[in-house]
Amino acid sequence: MSPRLFFRVMGLEARAHMSYRADFWTQAVVGFLGHFALAWFLWKAMFRESGREAIGGYDFPGMMVYYVTVLLLGKLVAGREYEAGVSGEIYQGTLTRYLLFPGRYLPFKYAQHLGSMAPSAVQVLLFAVVAALFTGLVPGPLEIARGALALLVGNLLHFLLSYCIQLVAFWADNVWSLEVGKRFIMTLLGGFTVPLAVFPAGMKPWLEALPFRFFYDFPVRATLGRMGAAEWALGIAVAALWCVALWLLGRWIWWRGQLRYTGVGI
Amino acid sequence: MIETTRLSKTFHVHKKAPGLMASVRGLFRRERIAKHAVREVSFRIEEGEIVGLVGANGAGKTTLVKMLAGIIHPTAGEARVLGHVPWERDDRLRRRLALIMGQKAQLWWDLPAADGFLLLKEIYRIPEEEYRKTLSYLASVLEIGKELHVQVRRLSLGERMKMELIAALLHGPRVVFLDEPTIGLDLSAQRAIRDFILAYREEHAPAMILTSHYMEDIQRLCKRIMILRDGALVYDGSLAQVAERYADHKVITAHLRRDAGGGPPPALRSMGPEGPMGGVAGGEIVEQDATVLKVRVPRGETAAAAARILQLYPVADLAIEEPDIGTIIERILREKGEVMG
Repeated sequence: MSPRLFFRVMGLEARAHMSYRADFWTQAVVGFLGHFALAWFLWKAMFRESGREAIGGYDFPGMMVYYVTVLLLGKLVAGREYEAGVSGEIYQGTLTRYLLFPGRYLPFKYAQHLGSMAPSAVQVLLFAVVAALFTGLVPGPLEIARGALALLVGNLLHFLLSYCIQLVAFWADNVWSLEVGKRFIMTLLGGFTVPLAVFPAGMKPWLEALPFRFFYDFPVRATLGRMGAAEWALGIAVAALWCVALWLLGRWIWWRGQLRYTGVGI
Repeated sequence: MIETTRLSKTFHVHKKAPGLMASVRGLFRRERIAKHAVREVSFRIEEGEIVGLVGANGAGKTTLVKMLAGIIHPTAGEARVLGHVPWERDDRLRRRLALIMGQKAQLWWDLPAADGFLLLKEIYRIPEEEYRKTLSYLASVLEIGKELHVQVRRLSLGERMKMELIAALLHGPRVVFLDEPTIGLDLSAQRAIRDFILAYREEHAPAMILTSHYMEDIQRLCKRIMILRDGALVYDGSLAQVAERYADHKVITAHLRRDAGGGPPPALRSMGPEGPMGGVAGGEIVEQDATVLKVRVPRGETAAAAARILQLYPVADLAIEEPDIGTIIERILREKGEVMG
């Protein structure tokens, strides 16, 4: 797929998703403020009841900064789960048009996925400015650069993982339960529900080996400057390896699955 | 251009019995049944031909088209479209092929069709000048220029179908598969689409396969038809020959002048030698009243029967018609055994 076509697909999808104004503001308010209020009250109670100054290396203000960053960057990792459309396309037969187009399906879907994140990107920008004004915390250029690359890799990794799950639709009549399972695992083991530093030390090697930390914990800590250059570089390399593994897995599932595609109805 | 040899497709589907207990049982064990959608179909289609693919629901028409468009893989057999195996999905083939499947949208519903066309321009790498020229031509022939900038979801069914046609033909395909292109459209929209397809064929001479349940589509657009029955090709030949070969009769309709009394001529009531079919072997009266006599006669007896009617009755007007093509095809579909053209 040519870069020109990639950006054209992205732009088109961004336009389509930006046309829903009510949805934009509902997502912004519920998705961000609602989550943040929940985290605020929950952690306030935990700090008060435990009587501790810090949990997992985070004091209460630090924990809130972590949550603000997780909520903002999380939107740019998972977006609006546009890749969920893959199973729908298999079930409804709209996959057919992509099979007719010259070019590959995966880059096309990734361009659409990135385009579908345009409203999230605007929301993140908006809230990031507000958060910076309130807290006075603005990451330096190095942190922003490291965070951006971590975010990009996390986004691709999340897309590839979801893509593999969605392709199961070639065999199963419903992949919803797999999606729910994925969401539960990635929010728990990825650092969305609680920072990974809160987990027992014995779990650390497992959490580092699995791909989920690249969705939240890794880009957030990279942006907040909570990791050194070596840890960041190693993390990027591991995430890239996961991307290659999932890409290969996706290719294999696609090849096997498209043999079963009926285009709806026989 | 399009060639198939013993092309077959068998689907395996899960059988689901009705009832709650059957659903519970289905959680543990499911029975699979094989459905032979297409059976050893062989044919060849040349450049500029529009071939009508006819058959009852579930006869395998759409499955055959999907295989030729490279969307699904066959179970057995071979096919070549423009020299390529379609299900290998070589980009060189996909740049010269189009599939229009009724109202299944190729366009983006939330955006105006013009935006979708721009994307297709990039996908098919259509040069700017050629794109503008083709879009302008297609939009003007289909009389849809004003709607290009309206969100696709806000267009009427007919307008959407026209946009789908433009989307499919923008890149100037050499092979076009039209699956029910007029389904659900009103009469004027159907006519517009048919006229457009004919005009497009005249100008670009692609090979086309058309599937439709509307016999008018087939009659207007196709000189050659292929009839599929239970997945097997039972007829492949000219549309005109179908009537000649498989309709063993013609229908003669005579409009009669009323006699002085206003009643039907007495002999009309008779099936005996003195009646209109007297001396015509195998003829039968289909309809009769004071002013109309309709008879069904064997193809070879048409002239004799017409002459006898003219001789016996005060005929104001006389028409000799082939039986309805739809009826003939229905008959072929009901019959058993080979009827290859």
